[in-house]
Amino acid sequence: MLVLSRRPEQSLLLGDDVTVIVLAVDGDRVKLGIQAPASVSILRGELYAQLKAANAAAATNQPTVARVTEALRTGRLGTPTPQ
Amino acid sequence: MMTTSDPPMTSDTPADAAVSAITFADGLIGCPNWHNFVLMTDDEEDLPVGVLQSQDDPKVSLMITDPCLILPEYTIALDAETRKALELESGQPTAYCTLSVSAEGELTANLLGPLVVNPSNRRAIQMVLADSTYSARHPVARLGQTES
Repeated sequence: MLVLSRRPEQSLLLGDDVTVIVLAVDGDRVKLGIQAPASVSILRGELYAQLKAANAAAATNQPTVARVTEALRTGRLGTPTPQ
Repeated sequence: MMTTSDPPMTSDTPADAAVSAITFADGLIGCPNWHNFVLMTDDEEDLPVGVLQSQDDPKVSLMITDPCLILPEYTIALDAETRKALELESGQPTAYCTLSVSAEGELTANLLGPLVVNPSNRRAIQMVLADSTYSARHPVARLGQTES
């Protein structure tokens, strides 16, 4: 991992079109400004981790699909009529 | 009379197992290799619980539903970039949320990262509603202990 020290108002560039600027440092909070094309997705690391975990969890559902459908069906629609 | 062009329906597939291909050009978040899925729904049921079956990895299938079924007031703020990615100039995409069941049997819905699909070209992306208060593990129901 590249580690850099920056002071407020200093910046760094990622590739040609992404600029990260340190706007302010206040105790344990750093305020960053990011200039990037709209096509670059910017995501807080925690959100990325949560969604990655949710996607992985959703993908390991296979054996329970029928069970969940059944639970929702019986819970909301009454007893189904199997074909 | 002027008619608007409706998105093509899956009328050429059997009524009890409507199937359609969906493509995530960028994959899903944290899972960039999940591109091609087939959406399987059961039209016999009123509950739109569908399965997104990966065409890239047979082990990957995602259980999905209409997020408004979980939260009636659920809304998605569609930005220009998302429209561009979906090639959706007007109208609304179809939104789905994935469902997960924990080992303890808790059924949760991912309302933070909905899957949105352009119904006319089947392009899809996973959005992140970063400015919302929606959870990636919104509690839906308790199913009891799952069999191991």
